[in-house]
Amino acid sequence: MNEVDYQELREAGWRRKLTPAEAARLQGWLALHPEQQMEWEAEAGLNQLLSQLPDAPVASNFTARVLQELNRETAGVPDRAEPAGWLARWFRRPAAGLAWAAVLMVAGWIGYHQFTKPSGTAQAHDLAVLFKTVGQEPSLFEDFDAIRKLPQADDEELYAVLNVQP
Amino acid sequence: MSNAPDPDADLMLRVKQGDREAFEELVEKYKQPVMNVVYRTLPDATEAEDLAQHVFLQVYKSAHRYEVSAKFTTWLFTIARNLCLNEIRRRSRHPAESLDATTPGNDEQPIRQVEDIRNVSPPESLLQGELEEKIEEALAQLPEKQRTAILLCRGDELSYEEIAAVLQCSVSATKSLIHRGRETLKQSLKPYLSSGAWSKE
Repeated sequence: MNEVDYQELREAGWRRKLTPAEAARLQGWLALHPEQQMEWEAEAGLNQLLSQLPDAPVASNFTARVLQELNRETAGVPDRAEPAGWLARWFRRPAAGLAWAAVLMVAGWIGYHQFTKPSGTAQAHDLAVLFKTVGQEPSLFEDFDAIRKLPQADDEELYAVLNVQP
Repeated sequence: MSNAPDPDADLMLRVKQGDREAFEELVEKYKQPVMNVVYRTLPDATEAEDLAQHVFLQVYKSAHRYEVSAKFTTWLFTIARNLCLNEIRRRSRHPAESLDATTPGNDEQPIRQVEDIRNVSPPESLLQGELEEKIEEALAQLPEKQRTAILLCRGDELSYEEIAAVLQCSVSATKSLIHRGRETLKQSLKPYLSSGAWSKE
């Protein structure tokens, strides 16, 4: 037996009573190392004290109460762990209700504007059609300068000018 | 860790399927070891029992997450320790005066009464009762990790590897915790160790 074996026996003594064979080996070691005698006595004394520590008191109906609580929680009574119940309670809170109403209103407003506003693709398509038309009919811009130079004329005068030009 | 089949794991697999009888069997088997740890972590017997019941409810609710690769007791005591730590943290945030707390001017009063019947027992039992109170007090003074390590080690239900898993540290750190805790206990209980009071059977 060596120091490592002694340590192993010591650690075994922390967990359980040593077997007669282990105790005999230990006594042999201590006979050769009397300087460790006192240390071992303190170890053995503490092992004895801790082994005498009584069990904590447990109510006789402990198991019944656990099962009762389990039945209560799984019998449809609102359950803290149940996500649906948690959400339902959260929605019932007035502040949460107001917050959700505000969120829904903002979402609706944005959605409405997104729906009514022409999309970027549609705008690009309209421009493409316009430029295509202009490219095919350059005469459309023949009167552009004349029209631009006119003062803010009434519609009648404008029509008159335009009627002369063709 | 041993490769022997863990009968508790079989029970737990049945619990996973919703088997209440298997659950009841586990509660019956482990209510005492769990209470032994919880009771010495929370200084109130009633609250300790409530929390111990909560530990088992948590076991049932978390059964779907249980993997057979872990020994049941490791898993059970990890849940127990986590719930104890949560309770300790909650109390530190919302401190409340305990009815069992030592009152000023009455320092000799123990932190908690373990069993009243000892007060009317014969002299030997009085000595034994006093000794047990001193051990409880000394244990209560230890840091939580050291105390839990010593209590789990004492029961001989968990290996050092399993205790290390519960405490979320290495095996060598676990042994070091036990060693340091025991050295503190030896100092606190020195009069009882040297007087031979422990030798009473």
